[in-house]
Amino acid sequence: MSLIDEDEALIAAALNGSALAWEKLVRRYESKIYNHGLRLMGNSSDAMDLMQEVFLGVYRNLHRFRGDAKFSSWVFRIAHNKAIDINRRKRLTTTQIRTSDQEELAFLDLVPGETNIEPDNMVSEQQRNRQVISMLAKLPLEQRLVVELKMFQSQTFEEIANLQDISVNTAKTRFYTALKKLKVVSEEIHVLP
Amino acid sequence: MSCPKTQHILQEYFADNLASLAKEKIESHLLVCGHCSNELESLLLTQSTLNQWKNERAPHWNRGMELFRREHQTPISGFSLWHRLQWAPTIACFVMMIVLLLNVNFVSSQEGFSVSFGSTSDDSPAIEERLVAFQEEQRLAMDTLAGRIEDRQSSNNIELLQTVLDQNQQTTAENLNRIYAFFEQQRLRDLEDMRVGYQDLVDNDYETIRSLQQLAQFVSFQSPER
Repeated sequence: MSLIDEDEALIAAALNGSALAWEKLVRRYESKIYNHGLRLMGNSSDAMDLMQEVFLGVYRNLHRFRGDAKFSSWVFRIAHNKAIDINRRKRLTTTQIRTSDQEELAFLDLVPGETNIEPDNMVSEQQRNRQVISMLAKLPLEQRLVVELKMFQSQTFEEIANLQDISVNTAKTRFYTALKKLKVVSEEIHVLP
Repeated sequence: MSCPKTQHILQEYFADNLASLAKEKIESHLLVCGHCSNELESLLLTQSTLNQWKNERAPHWNRGMELFRREHQTPISGFSLWHRLQWAPTIACFVMMIVLLLNVNFVSSQEGFSVSFGSTSDDSPAIEERLVAFQEEQRLAMDTLAGRIEDRQSSNNIELLQTVLDQNQQTTAENLNRIYAFFEQQRLRDLEDMRVGYQDLVDNDYETIRSLQQLAQFVSFQSPER
C-alpha cells in the first residue's frame, strides 16, 4: 500500500471514530510539521504552537478533505496558513528571533535531537540546523515560505504560486531574491567566526 | 564584471520543467559568462548549506488522542437526537402548511375522532339555513338600529336649529342697540362741532366790524385836517 493510500485509509478510519487511526496520522506528520515550524518560526516553542494549530485544523476539517489533492499537500497548505497567522499574531520579525550566541545555545537546549545517534554527530547536526535557522531568520516571511516550500517541501513554482495567490514569475523572483540574500548571509557567517 | 542577464538566467535555471531549448540557451550562456556562472555556483552552495538540514525528532503531540477521545465520548444517539431535534421546527411548519393547503378538518365528537379533507358536503343545507336565518336577524337588527339613529338625529337637528335661531335673534337686537347708540353719539358730536363753528364765525365777524370802525375813525380824522 502506498503512503497516499495509507493516508486515505487512516483518514477514513479516523472519520469512522478510530482513535488509533487518528493517532497514526498524527505520528506520520508531526515530525514533518514540527521541522517545518522550526524552520519557519525559528524556535521550538513557536514550532510546537504551529504543530498544535495545524493538527487542530486538520482534525476539525478532516471531514472536508475530499482527496482531490494529496493529504500531505492539504496538511502543508493548512500549515502554511497557520504559520502566516501565528506570524501576524506574534508580529514575528527577523530581529525578534534570538541571534546572540548565548540565546541560541539556550534555544538549542529546547530543541530535541535524534536520540539514536552519537552525541558528536548530534551536536554537529544541531549546529547545522542552527545555522540554517539563523540564515532563514534573516528573510522576510514571504521569502522564507517560498524557500521552505521549494527546497524542503519540493513544491513546484506553480503550486507555490497557487498557495500564495501570486503569479509563477513572482514566486520565481521571490525564490531567487531569497537565495541571493541567503548567499550574503551565508558568506557573512563563514567570514565572521 | 556584471551581466545584465544574470537575474533572468538564474531565475530560469531554478525553474521547474525547463524546456530543452531554454536549458541549452542557459547552459551556453553560463559557459561564456563568468559572472553568471560564479553567481550560480555561490547560489548552489547556499542551497547545499540549507540542504544540510536534518529533521529533528518532534515532541509527540499528545493532545491528539485526548481531543479525539473527548469529542467521541458523546454518545452517537445523543448527537443524532439533537441532530433530529434541529429539524423539528421545519417539520412542524411543513405539517401546518399541508393542513392549511388541504383544508384538513379534525372533528372530535361522542362518536369518536374523525379527520376530513376539503369542505364537508353533508352539512351544507343546515349551514345554508342557519346562514339565511342569521342574515335575516342581522337585517332586522340593522333596520331597528337605523330607525333609532334617524329619530335621534331628527330631534337633535330641531334642537340645534332652535338654539341657532335664538342666538341669532339675540345677536341682531344687540347689534341694533349698538348702532342706535353710535348714531346718537355721532349726532351730539356734530351739534357740538357746529356750535363751535358758529362761535368762530361770529368772533371773526366781530373782529371785522371793529377793524372797519377803526378805519372809518381814521378816515374821518384825516378828512377835517385837509
